[in-house]
Amino acid sequence: MKTHRHLCCHACDELVTIKLPEKEGRYRCPTCGHTLFKNYKNSIEKSYAISIASLILFIVANYFPILTFSVIGQNSTATFMTAIEYLYRDGDYIMAIAVLMTTIVVPFTFILFAMIVFGMLYHGKIYPIIIPMLRIIEDLRPWGMLDVFLIGVLVSVVKLVKMGTIHFGISFWAFVSLVPLMAYAHMILDPHKVWEIIEDAGMCLYQKEHK
Amino acid sequence: MRAIDRDIACCPVCHELVKIKRGNKEYCPRCGTVVHLRKPGSLTVSLALVIASIILYIPANLYPMMHVQTFAGTESDTIISGIIYFFESGSYLIAFVILIASIVVPFIKMVIILYLIYSVYKGKAEDKEHKLRLYVLTEIIGKWSMVDVYVVAIMIALVHFGALTQIKAGAGAIFFLGVVILTMLSAMSFDSRLIWDMKGKE
Repeated sequence: MKTHRHLCCHACDELVTIKLPEKEGRYRCPTCGHTLFKNYKNSIEKSYAISIASLILFIVANYFPILTFSVIGQNSTATFMTAIEYLYRDGDYIMAIAVLMTTIVVPFTFILFAMIVFGMLYHGKIYPIIIPMLRIIEDLRPWGMLDVFLIGVLVSVVKLVKMGTIHFGISFWAFVSLVPLMAYAHMILDPHKVWEIIEDAGMCLYQKEHK
Repeated sequence: MRAIDRDIACCPVCHELVKIKRGNKEYCPRCGTVVHLRKPGSLTVSLALVIASIILYIPANLYPMMHVQTFAGTESDTIISGIIYFFESGSYLIAFVILIASIVVPFIKMVIILYLIYSVYKGKAEDKEHKLRLYVLTEIIGKWSMVDVYVVAIMIALVHFGALTQIKAGAGAIFFLGVVILTMLSAMSFDSRLIWDMKGKE
């Protein structure tokens, strides 16, 4: 196991063997070209740093208003929660929950868990809770839609700028920094490396079966 | 050499290789997730979800996305009337963005998923790489159709000046939300390895 790494392509089910030590970069499946895994220097360290930064930015983004809209002397401010509050008050519970989940609950859980997981890996103190946490991160990943929300904000701004004045709040800039940061974190993360460290630390739940 | 030929499955969470007998389910030794050779009922579930999303797509476009209430009356906008409004008022970029995200993208997703399901069902083995790329494309663009829903939410949040102007969500927004979620679930439940299971001319 330590001389070679055995992988199975998720897209086409091809078994691939990679000789260790791995070179840096992105490995692709020889049959279908799908990305197998990525190997970048210091990815755990970087992921840890990014998740802490993301958490701070996320909290800032939620606390302060994103946009202020003024028309004929009337002002209104909006934070992340404002939209959800109004949707809820108008009785659109389904939409309120959907927006709440995809823009607040899922991304927050994701960032928080990522910080804890990478913190454990970085400091070398691995606890069994890391396994359900990683599973939740993987399950929730497609449902975090902050980047889509950002585009939604920009479209709304263009719509409203014709009617009145828009002022960008602190939250907006925190948000604008957060989205590419999370995208970068996703790019450098390689689950194989993470799971191998967990395995070496002896945190496997069940007896290892022979391959 | 493919994993299925050797009765090996790959854990979807931690990528551990697990020996497995056909039809059984096993638990991954590393992370405890249930591991299947192929996603169970993949074609059936995927087809059911995509058909449901097509059914919801009709009211999503027919009902208004939002109602703009002013002292002059209520103006209701559907997705299409919103796009036309933007074109006429000169915001071509925004019209284009909404056209792509709300009409083109969901439509393409549904077509691609239907095509992939049909292709696997009929056992067609050509163009495997091409089909895989289509599948990956579908997964990536999936969530971007949510733009319209977020736009409605933000407009509601910002334009709430009581009797002067107010925006409320329309039924179309909720149907559209359903379409996005269902197409995402449909793509997620389709097992792309089935494309490569088809034996035939390469």
